[in-house]
Amino acid sequence: MWRGGRVSRDKLERLGLKVPVLPTTAVGSYPKFPYLLEARKKFLQGNLSREELLELERKATRDWIELQQEIGLDVLVDGEMYRGDMVTYFAENMDGFALSGLVRSYGNRYYRKPIIVGEVRWTGPITVDWWKFAQGLTEKPVKGMVTGPYTMMDWSFNEYYPSRRDACLALAGAIHKEVAELWRSGAKIIQIDEPAISARPEELDLAIEAMKRVVEGIDAYFIVHICYGAFEFIYPGMLELPVDNFDLEMSNSSLDLVELFRKHPFTKDISFGVVDVHSHVVEEVGLIEERIGKALEVVRPENLWIDPDCGLKTRSVQETIGKLKNMVVAVRKVRERLNG
Amino acid sequence: MSDEDFERVQRAVVREVVDEQSRAGLDVVTDGLIRWYDPVSHLARAMEGCEIDGLLRFFDTNFYFRQPVVRGRVRRSRPVLRDEFAYARSVTDRHVKAVMTGPYTLAKLSINRSGASFEEVVRWFADVLAEEAEDLSRAGAEFIQVEEPAIVRNPSDFGIFSEALEAIVKRAGGDRIVLTTYFGDASPIYESLLDVGVGGLGLDFTYSGRLPELIAELGCEKDLWLGVVDGRNTKMEREEEVLAVMKKVLSKVSSRRVFIMPSCGLGEYLPRRVAFRKLVLVSRVVERWKSEQGQA
Repeated sequence: MWRGGRVSRDKLERLGLKVPVLPTTAVGSYPKFPYLLEARKKFLQGNLSREELLELERKATRDWIELQQEIGLDVLVDGEMYRGDMVTYFAENMDGFALSGLVRSYGNRYYRKPIIVGEVRWTGPITVDWWKFAQGLTEKPVKGMVTGPYTMMDWSFNEYYPSRRDACLALAGAIHKEVAELWRSGAKIIQIDEPAISARPEELDLAIEAMKRVVEGIDAYFIVHICYGAFEFIYPGMLELPVDNFDLEMSNSSLDLVELFRKHPFTKDISFGVVDVHSHVVEEVGLIEERIGKALEVVRPENLWIDPDCGLKTRSVQETIGKLKNMVVAVRKVRERLNG
Repeated sequence: MSDEDFERVQRAVVREVVDEQSRAGLDVVTDGLIRWYDPVSHLARAMEGCEIDGLLRFFDTNFYFRQPVVRGRVRRSRPVLRDEFAYARSVTDRHVKAVMTGPYTLAKLSINRSGASFEEVVRWFADVLAEEAEDLSRAGAEFIQVEEPAIVRNPSDFGIFSEALEAIVKRAGGDRIVLTTYFGDASPIYESLLDVGVGGLGLDFTYSGRLPELIAELGCEKDLWLGVVDGRNTKMEREEEVLAVMKKVLSKVSSRRVFIMPSCGLGEYLPRRVAFRKLVLVSRVVERWKSEQGQA
């Protein structure tokens, strides 16, 4: 039934990654601690130096690594304390971009959408130092984390390239260089964030072609994060993305995807979102166990990873800790049942 | 913050955006939909039978709406648009266009847990929106823009889509209804759109190269609202480019009135300063068109 089966487990072993069954992880971002929010404000007002801000971003990263270890996650993230927005951050650090004014995301949330104004070029490592710093703080694997070319293209205004395709493939080349640098530095699990991929089903082939360029020649365990879209239109086609693991938002969409997987089996590893990142409510352990149970109806245990739906940066620190703790407790209970 | 204070702020922002549109030179303005959380939940929130659920991406944008879950027969629990329209109209001497998301798109973007068929849910939404449109019509709205972006992606649903619109036309009068699609190529359904009993058609020209020729070929007797300035990219069109598209479209149509506009709402997709420049571009193009026609 499953074509994926053990293949990905073998890859993890080959890469020297020891993760338990149902590895727990996070999608990427965590909320910024009040002291960091304050510092970022001061920095913008010109009342704090770049170096002072950087020191506090390092402290916040250390704090999140410690918290994740205490909570008991298996694969960690650096929490993105140094990022504002996932697209803007990379745009600011590559050639070819300018920043626009504020654009609405939802409700009263706004972000600065980048504008492609010239040839997009990678001019040097963007996230690599942060990855090294975070990995240096823990024995557990820390994911390398970059925003994918399709999303970078889709979430930027394009005033330079003649087509979406040209912009996307140029970005793929640039992002490939960042991914290669992460890999050379020792990152074995690399996540490519492509939340926009489900928005235009007719462009799925372009997204796949771009992803091929990104991962070409790199022997890492690749995860793609996709969220908040109409999966029914890109599934099962999306399984052709050249990655090992699909990190999908499941709770917010009432687990509709599970039904889709019944019709057409999921053939790769999946990081299954079991807590809703847009809700203040900390889900009860029982509810999370139920959601994991749902996942196990359609995916084998060795192909299943457990995490929140999406980045947690919009939640409070307490809500985030609460959600992650209950997630880990629920996973341990399910593991016991699987072993017993 | 008290409800009164909140309303005071909302009104101030409406005045500001109405003024901005006037300064850009527009003849027909909207209230900027500044009270709307998003195009879906703003209306569904005021309906019995709907619960508002998690976030979902609005079509192929990076803007999110809260998704309604339909649990039972949908009914209006309170009027929404009438007072919003009346306020906007009280602060300007320009024409004010009311805007609503259409019944088909609302149903398409909702989760149906009512037990009834999708078609039935579309009819429920149509009933509520027909009441809204009737209110608007009584309040003196000359133009009621019914937005139906979902139909361009699902042309096979045209039957129920058009049935729902006729229900609105029946209660509010077809003349004032401007049926508007965006975020997709309208050419495959253009001919069918001509048969819907609405007074105006609003079309997005950024997704289709074929649409201008098609309109020239099939003609049009309805008012045309041409979305020929890209509402989703900061790149500014050259006036000549826009004029060329207009000329092609209008070469054979017999529409009584033609309006030029951006391809979609601007509040969600462009930074405010760029949005303003796009509106200025719209009025400049119209000025040039008028002066060229005058000379001819």
